[in-house]
Amino acid sequence: MILNGVEIRDTFAEAFPMVGTRLIVTADTPEWALIAGRTTTGFATSVIGCGCEAGIERTLAPEETPDGRPGVSLLIFAMDFGSLKKVVPLRLGQCVLTCPTTACYAGIDTGKRVPLAKTIRYFADGHQISKKIGDKRFWRLPVMEGEFVCDEDTGSVDGVGGGNFLILARSRGQALKAAEAAVAAMVQVPGIILPFPGGVVRSGSKVGSKYKGLFASTNDAYCPTLRGTVPSQLPEEVGSVLEIVIDGVSFEAVAQATKVGITAVCAIGAEGGVVAIDAGNYGGNLGPFHFKLREIMQDGAGETA
Amino acid sequence: MTGVSLKPRAPFEARVDLSNLTPEVTGPLSLRELEHREVPCGGRSLKLAELFFVEGAPDGVLLVEIGDVRLDGVGAGMSKGELIVDGTVGAFAGRGMSGGMLRIGGDAGDFLGAEMSGGRIELAGNAGAQAGAAGSGSRRGLSGGVLRIGGHAGPRAAERQRGGLITIAGDAGEGLATGMIAGTVSVGGAIGPLAGRGMKRGTIFVMTVPELPAGFIDTGTHELVMLPLLARRVPELSAMLGGWTHARRIVGDTLMGGQGEVLAGA
Repeated sequence: MILNGVEIRDTFAEAFPMVGTRLIVTADTPEWALIAGRTTTGFATSVIGCGCEAGIERTLAPEETPDGRPGVSLLIFAMDFGSLKKVVPLRLGQCVLTCPTTACYAGIDTGKRVPLAKTIRYFADGHQISKKIGDKRFWRLPVMEGEFVCDEDTGSVDGVGGGNFLILARSRGQALKAAEAAVAAMVQVPGIILPFPGGVVRSGSKVGSKYKGLFASTNDAYCPTLRGTVPSQLPEEVGSVLEIVIDGVSFEAVAQATKVGITAVCAIGAEGGVVAIDAGNYGGNLGPFHFKLREIMQDGAGETA
Repeated sequence: MTGVSLKPRAPFEARVDLSNLTPEVTGPLSLRELEHREVPCGGRSLKLAELFFVEGAPDGVLLVEIGDVRLDGVGAGMSKGELIVDGTVGAFAGRGMSGGMLRIGGDAGDFLGAEMSGGRIELAGNAGAQAGAAGSGSRRGLSGGVLRIGGHAGPRAAERQRGGLITIAGDAGEGLATGMIAGTVSVGGAIGPLAGRGMKRGTIFVMTVPELPAGFIDTGTHELVMLPLLARRVPELSAMLGGWTHARRIVGDTLMGGQGEVLAGA
């Protein structure tokens, strides 16, 4: 399959189950809501080293939030529910509670409950106050700045982690431009996050290493500087590869984001230096979710040759 | 309107206890069975048809066409359905309710919504003493649901309230929320003395700061995120709190180790 001169390789992205939750963080201004969101989802690129994967799903207008202030919607994913229950209160306590003017609310009503203020309310040292509204309980924690309002808990969802595609381009600059275009389009898709810096990964990994104790190591088959020294997946004209990793609340959300992202890359096309789209997989043995690039792009934009 | 309507045959000569006549009880009964249902009246038991014209078809809605101060226990123990009273009721209306809707077009006597745990009471007029309070010998007042009083409330409303919401559009008598354990009460009018005495937790929203017991401490005026949150999420409070961003917060009853609060618009 060729779209606008870009080869869509006959392969698939292999993704795995994750458990996720959504937090709604509000603040007095959009800027402070973003600061809280970025801090809370910082150092959360990969479960391998960070314990979770997190990102800002989107920004929220005042009319979309529980308290009528600007906010952000955050998605946090972990490998299992037990891990999620640990990382969410930690990030809440260190990054949202501490951030001026913020409040935090549940973004998912269903599923197993992930503790929010249920855990961190003890910071208030006995001065915490709860207020039950309908079936929901909110906590008010006195802090030096005033009062921190937080939902008691939030719901969770069985999500998908590790959806991905690779952009093979002639140069580093062209790969980056294509990746930026993909990210700009993909962040509009609801229910997904791109957990890596700016949504882009330059150091895609393969499973395992020659060194004991390392679970992952550089994806040498896609390293241009190793072409010829290892079994390479890169044709001669490819000078740089960037990866986009997608986590989402459902298979459909990740598939939609993949399609939107590849479409944006293909719009740049061969003229913009994009050679091919590939995807990372492990032979189909690691994850149950397979995003077949050509099937996803079957009715996509661009020409099919 | 469909449902069963009860129209008094004549003014009641004694107090009538309707507490065993809720929509969930009347719903499964035929009209004839309903007419033969016995209700306590002045120390006797009378068939419902001796007191009321019983008409309509049972379907979960019960309408009392003409209210009377001698009608006690209207909607007491209701768990579902709708009960409408076109007029005034006596004591214990909605007592122990756990669900459903009770609408009263006139006034209500003492212990309206006492110990209710769910459902909703809409009272157009004034309430007697101890609305939403604990019953005699009971430790807990209203613990869930919504009690709306369109007029004034008598003494000791919300006494030992444990949760839920009570809104009083008019004035509240003395001893409002005495011994309150949790929950929310709002008062649109004036408040009598000794409000919140012995209060442990919970919130009283007021328009102006009332005279409070000695154990209350004024912490000053604060900008509280909780105010717009409540205004947006609790329709019953949106009119009162709609413009509030700040409130004067008075905490008590500290003499009892309490952490309740009176929040006055600022």
